[in-house]
Amino acid sequence: MINFGYSISRPRIIDIDRNNLRKSNEILLEMPELQTCIGCGTCTATCTAGNLTEFNFRKVHTLVRRGEYQGAYEEMNKCMLCGKCRLLCPRGINTRGVVMLIKRKLGDF
Amino acid sequence: MTFFADFCIPFVVGATVMFAAVVIKYAAWFHRLPKSDKLSILKGLPTAKSIAAAWEAVRESLLHRRIFRVNPVLGYMHMSLAFGWFLLIVVGWIETVAYLGFRWVPLQGHVFFKYFAPLNGIWEHKPVFDFAMDLLLLFVLSGVALAWFKRMKSRAMGMKRTTKHVLFDRIALSALWFVFPARLVAESVTCGIYGGGGFLTGGLGSLLDKALGQEALRALYEPTWWFYSCALGVFFIAMPFSRYMHIFTEIPLIFLRRYKLRPESHEKSYDNFEVEACSRCGICIDPCQLQSVLGINDVQSVYFLRDRRYNMLQQKIANNCLMCGRCEQTCPVGINLNTLRLNSRTTMRNIPNEGRYNYLRGLDRSEGEGRVGYFAGCMTLLTPNTLDAMRRIFDAAREDVWWADKDGGVCCGRPLKLSGEVDSARKMIDYNKELFRKHGIATLVTSCPICLRVFREEYDLEGIEVLHHSEYILRLMRQGRLRVGYSSERTFTYHDPCELGRGSGIYDEPRAVIEAVGVLAEPDHTRKDALCCGSSVANTVINDAQQLTIAQGVARELDDTGADTVVTSCPLCKKAIARASAKNVVDLSEIVAVNLK
Amino acid sequence: MKHIIVVGGGIAGMQCAVEAARGGAAVTLIEKEGDTGGKLRNWHKLFPTFTPADEVLSALRHRLAREENITVKTDCEVTAVTPRKVATASGEELACDAVVLATGFALFDARVKEEYGYGIYDNVITSADLERMFNDGAVKLKSGGAPRRIAILHCVGSRDEKVCQRHCSKVCCVTGVKQAIELKKLFPSADVFNFYMDIRMFGPGYEEMYREAQEKYNIHFVRGRISEVSPTIDERLQIKAEDTLTGRPLKIGVDMLVLLIGMKADAMNASLEEASGLRRQPSGFMQPRDSFLGNVESGAEGIFYAGAVTAPKSVGESLNEGTAAARAALEWLGATHKIDSQR
Repeated sequence: MINFGYSISRPRIIDIDRNNLRKSNEILLEMPELQTCIGCGTCTATCTAGNLTEFNFRKVHTLVRRGEYQGAYEEMNKCMLCGKCRLLCPRGINTRGVVMLIKRKLGDF
Repeated sequence: MTFFADFCIPFVVGATVMFAAVVIKYAAWFHRLPKSDKLSILKGLPTAKSIAAAWEAVRESLLHRRIFRVNPVLGYMHMSLAFGWFLLIVVGWIETVAYLGFRWVPLQGHVFFKYFAPLNGIWEHKPVFDFAMDLLLLFVLSGVALAWFKRMKSRAMGMKRTTKHVLFDRIALSALWFVFPARLVAESVTCGIYGGGGFLTGGLGSLLDKALGQEALRALYEPTWWFYSCALGVFFIAMPFSRYMHIFTEIPLIFLRRYKLRPESHEKSYDNFEVEACSRCGICIDPCQLQSVLGINDVQSVYFLRDRRYNMLQQKIANNCLMCGRCEQTCPVGINLNTLRLNSRTTMRNIPNEGRYNYLRGLDRSEGEGRVGYFAGCMTLLTPNTLDAMRRIFDAAREDVWWADKDGGVCCGRPLKLSGEVDSARKMIDYNKELFRKHGIATLVTSCPICLRVFREEYDLEGIEVLHHSEYILRLMRQGRLRVGYSSERTFTYHDPCELGRGSGIYDEPRAVIEAVGVLAEPDHTRKDALCCGSSVANTVINDAQQLTIAQGVARELDDTGADTVVTSCPLCKKAIARASAKNVVDLSEIVAVNLK
Repeated sequence: MKHIIVVGGGIAGMQCAVEAARGGAAVTLIEKEGDTGGKLRNWHKLFPTFTPADEVLSALRHRLAREENITVKTDCEVTAVTPRKVATASGEELACDAVVLATGFALFDARVKEEYGYGIYDNVITSADLERMFNDGAVKLKSGGAPRRIAILHCVGSRDEKVCQRHCSKVCCVTGVKQAIELKKLFPSADVFNFYMDIRMFGPGYEEMYREAQEKYNIHFVRGRISEVSPTIDERLQIKAEDTLTGRPLKIGVDMLVLLIGMKADAMNASLEEASGLRRQPSGFMQPRDSFLGNVESGAEGIFYAGAVTAPKSVGESLNEGTAAARAALEWLGATHKIDSQR
């Protein structure tokens, strides 16, 4: 099965011109280290939830940084906050903090 | 005697406001207590618990025994203010009674007795009382002097840091600082005019008389009493809204605690008693590594409780805590700091979501079969040396083992609980519980203290004994099922994981295991006083560099023991210390596995 | 005759000693181990030309032997350095007129990345182990068999803040591709998978070699860093990574895992900083005076750097720096001029 993102009805293109980056900028302002992600995928590889569902932490936060917020909250809700990713991230990103921040900014917290 | 003068008005108003505010607050808190808590109080009231509580209230609220134990100078300061003031009131009351007999005297009559009954020689025992009251005043004044000194030079008092206060506290604090000096001046001026008084007020009175003369003293007479009354009035008005609310609140708290009331995972009315019993003494600041190592100054328990009390708590404060429990260990009021912080997080972050984690349904990735279940824990999957060592230990003891999560399991739920999402954590707890039951295990062994704690505290695993691997290994050794070689050439030092030590009270078992293999050298901070490795899952605010800085401090202390090998028994601590230390850092199970006979 | 001491008998030190002697100085080359050659002694072939390391090394040794004014002191460890004096562990103090530090680097200890299982599982080896195996002609599994599937993991102990190694070690990417090709040559029927974060092919012929690895040798490149390794029941290794280009977690069973270990700063750098007042970079490598016009100068008069003491470098770059440091030292001493006039 090919995973196209959160839902198949959305347009494929990430249109940064049309996306509203305000939330994304707020998130990065609070946690600038998220911008240091080099996309190595270690977080997703080790992810307890990601091995049981289609949750992909790296992809969700990358999409959020591009202004693609739809479904991000629901996706982040699959995370168990177990902390394995934080223990491995080569850039030392506070991944658990990122999950909580994105949920706070994009959800109803 | 009418016992009234105009200058009494500030005092009377202040006292009235204070008593009204305190009564209203307590009434509301008691009223809002959950039924079960009210029932516990009713059941406890007529028992010996109440007597024990009363005695404890004397010891703690007046004598401040626990502060004495942490810091004697600070203990004296608190005791002189609390106990001294209390005695001033009691002896003052006795004086009034001795002078006037048993008759009703309004409150201001007791407080300003020197004003209303200044005449000397009309009563033969007066010099005795004058002396006693002066002695007590001196006692209190010495406390005030120490408090001034502490504000200016906290280090000299054995505290590296002292609390930063809010506006109400500052008003109350300033008023309180003036109360006793103002009393001294007012009484001394009175004695200077009318004579009498003890060594302090009388002595100062005659000095003033000599220096200023009667005319000046008479001019000062009313204003000094006004000033004293105002200081009292301002203090009383500010008191219920400032940290000084702890003076009264500690007493009901002591009783309620004896009746087995505790804070829980959700906020409840009882928490008010704990929150407002905090005197903001600041003793919790120094043990905090976020302060001592990272210089973070606004997140410690004292600030957390303050912010929570004034409804200005922010997530970044509530979440910035390692929950290592070092502060809770030293809190002189015995406030359940971690539980309160947790239920604040719950209030901020818990959103019940029935559909969440539905993907867990029907999942079972366990393998093997046996009466003993082994739950490695997520983090242990990243320390395969521990897994390998446990496998060898199980083999050596000929134990049939059911491996719950060798290929990745479901998180124990504690990290989620620590972040406040308790309802969602429940989903994982229920899932794992069912999994354990399904496989019919009698013993559950885990290598992760984080898992251990939630298994013991939240899982309700009746019929299944939950053991940390340190306890399990020691048991195998004592049963003779595991034999290890000892050498005095091998030197170890041990790092107590917070969740295992302070969290679960397991200090001796790992040490017994180490001492069966080699020699143990303790670091400076050990057991209840052990440092946190800095990587605690409870903190979601500090960054990687800050975690590393904390770990480097811990590693340095462990290195200083001169031991060859650093031992710990938590995968998270192991990873944290290993990256900061040049020494070999291993899990407890590893030193057993390599020395099996 | 002016006297230059070169500390470190690796390739940079050897080259430097030869060049300094040719320039007319008396040189003492100090090596802490029993023989010169440094890390290259255990290497098999060099990228991107597959030149045997031994070829380079014997040429260097030959040049070294030809110079009369070079004294080689092996089994000699240096403890402190000043421009006029070098102290050794045996308590000896050697006087000189200038010092070149060519102390090189240390290899990252792969056991620190516990999740990769080095030292726990038999068939997890490092790139340095593999070179030794190539040299011994004994690339095989612990069981003695030939690997059918091999994974090579880039960036072990490089670009990893979790092991306090923030820097890129530069040469591992190229080494990984080179070793993949060599493995494929040895075991043509085996599958080789390179797991990488970024492929950095910075030098001449490297990109071409990369392309050849893909096209000619059918080596698989997976863009994703391995998170952990676990054993399987049939004694193979199970690897977890994310295939980031498809956005899905990936599992693969392999017979052998090669960890491309990074170059980290030598432990000696810390004591050099303390004892000799030299500066270190945050990475632990020594800080040259200037990145452009003073990259072999230390900033302290009379002390020079050559090779990987200042940063991870390839063999060619280290050799060039050996030459450059010798020139800089000679120039500083004014030795060239004096010797010419003596003739």
